[in-house]
Amino acid sequence: MRGQNVELVDVAMRFGAFTAVHPTDLVVEAGEFFSILGPSGCGKTTILRMVSGFLEPSQGEIRIGGTPMRGIPPNRRPTALIFQNLALFPLMPVWENVAFGLEARGVDKPTRRARAEELLRLVALEGQGHKRPSELSGGQRQRVAIARALAVEPAVLLLDEPLSALDLKLRQHMRTELRAIQRRVGITFIYITHDQGEALTMSDRIAVMSQGRVEQVDTPDRLYAAPATAFVATFVGENNLVRGRITRAENGLALADTPLGPLRAANPHGLAAGAEAMLFVRPERLQLGPANGIDNRLAGTIARRALEGPYLHLAVATAAGTELLVHATNRGGLDAWQVGAPVEVGFAAEEAMALPTGPLAADA
Amino acid sequence: MRSLVATYGRGLTALFCGLALIWLLGLIVLPQLFMLERSLWWQEQPAEAFALTKRIDDLYNEVSLLEFDRRAAEGEEVAQLEARIAAKRAEIAELEAVEVAPVRVYGLANYVKMSGLHFWIFVKTIFYAMLVTLLALVVCYPIAFAAAQLASPANAALLLLGLVVPYAINELLRVYAWLMILDYQGVINSFLAWLGLVDFEKRTWVPFLEYPGAVFVAMVYAYVLFMVFPMYNTMETLDRNQLEAARDLGASTWRTHWRVVIPHARPGIAVGCIMTFMLSAGSFAVPQIISRGTGGDWFSQLIYRQFFESFNWNVGAAYAFTLLLACIVFIFLVMRLAGVGIRDIAK
Repeated sequence: MRGQNVELVDVAMRFGAFTAVHPTDLVVEAGEFFSILGPSGCGKTTILRMVSGFLEPSQGEIRIGGTPMRGIPPNRRPTALIFQNLALFPLMPVWENVAFGLEARGVDKPTRRARAEELLRLVALEGQGHKRPSELSGGQRQRVAIARALAVEPAVLLLDEPLSALDLKLRQHMRTELRAIQRRVGITFIYITHDQGEALTMSDRIAVMSQGRVEQVDTPDRLYAAPATAFVATFVGENNLVRGRITRAENGLALADTPLGPLRAANPHGLAAGAEAMLFVRPERLQLGPANGIDNRLAGTIARRALEGPYLHLAVATAAGTELLVHATNRGGLDAWQVGAPVEVGFAAEEAMALPTGPLAADA
Repeated sequence: MRSLVATYGRGLTALFCGLALIWLLGLIVLPQLFMLERSLWWQEQPAEAFALTKRIDDLYNEVSLLEFDRRAAEGEEVAQLEARIAAKRAEIAELEAVEVAPVRVYGLANYVKMSGLHFWIFVKTIFYAMLVTLLALVVCYPIAFAAAQLASPANAALLLLGLVVPYAINELLRVYAWLMILDYQGVINSFLAWLGLVDFEKRTWVPFLEYPGAVFVAMVYAYVLFMVFPMYNTMETLDRNQLEAARDLGASTWRTHWRVVIPHARPGIAVGCIMTFMLSAGSFAVPQIISRGTGGDWFSQLIYRQFFESFNWNVGAAYAFTLLLACIVFIFLVMRLAGVGIRDIAK
């Protein structure tokens, strides 16, 4: 099995007057674990269905391994799809499920049987081939679906939120499992999810989508550290948001006038003075307590607190009425951080980011 | 039972159970037992005794005729007729005194004395009913599948409505409609005549009604719903993702149906086949109206004749039971073939 790259060139999808996917260019590298992350209805499943061949794009071209895919039906594309509900065939034993793609290709029964057993070993389900899917646990069924998709030796595996039906524990376990399987087989995975945790932990790269548009394509690290839009900043991870107007911009930094007073922040988009901006700062980047030489300092009182063992989550109410979330590491001395206690909060200019105003994840 | 009592109370539960029992006994068990009993005996009489009984019957007929005449008679004719009536009555009384009543003999003779011709018709009927079932299956499978999986909900509803609407019309009228279409000077032949292919004057029309196919067509039309709905019901529960998964894994349409749709719809297909077979094997009206004696009889028509033309209820009951047995065998055969149990069918 060898992965192939997937290219979307100016691909758009319209259903009548509704545009599910606006013209999009996207390249998924061969052998990459690529996630498409977004809230429901953002068009990510539409993209998946276009790549798998169940939908033909209204415009543009999809290429897999350089070959244009228009007019090629799903059963003749080098892709395999894993459905959200897995869509295992309930009346067939597990091994026949796994070997179904081979059966469709006219492979003889002994070979199918042997190949199914091999694949079941790959997903750690040896000797379970004779069972019905209903006799397996949720995680095992998941792995059967993966084995079944891998049996046809696809160059690209498409996964449509396959973990969403599992409970949290199993989901976290399956993330590692999926990632390990992808490393082992080396083919391209395109993974659709609305769960940022899944996307961040498994992917090589992530495309964040909102309302039919790709907002940003980046590695998980970059996506978290340098979100390109207000939507990404609020959809991936938690963020404190302060609205304001830029009063000065120089050397990649901006000074903004906000309800909390003047704040300094990085200015990656080079917003000019006078521009409306949204300032974002991650809760774990806020420092509690008095500190000298820090660019931005704010005073407030602790409105709520939640101790999560090693971490302390605080909501700090400022004089302007804005609430800031602070995630601090538990270094002892918790008595000082009780509800109602006055605190000082500070952050360096580079820790915050001024982005152009735009829709937020909460609006979607 | 306990949950019934808990839900509805003793009174209502007793009512439900009582009604169900009456229905079971009165409409199913007792009539069947009565028929079974009938089929197991016949009347026997020595030849002379039979002649005597026949003579008595004839005398009764003559008496009624004479009585009829007397009512219209006038004058001395009246006395004459009354004398003749009295004479006949006397003869009847005399004969009845020595009449030997026929003896009821129990046995299986009614079941084994079917003539070769009747047995041939029986076999043919079973074969035709199977053929009708097969035809209906072939016709209905794509319809049920389209309605259940391919069409949008609105279109599926329209399609099903279109199937149901004809059933608002009496079955006989539906069959007569086919009669009009297939008749010697019916719609199809008229069309052929218009094309110049047949000539009514020379009676060169196509005798559709004389072919068994005419009965098949009318039956498929008459019973199509009983095939479509059970299939539709099971196919509708098939997850559409299963179809897409099969396709995505490279399966052809044929394989998708063979491996995914048909196994899933098996109970529905079995129920549809059983219903269509039972209805067509036992159908009286369709072959009666369509063939009108121009085509061969169906076994149901033979049963009718035994009961109401030969007045031989005993043989008629035996014939009816034979057909019932054949149907039961067919049911088990289909269930076996489809690998479904009573439970699946009840669903």
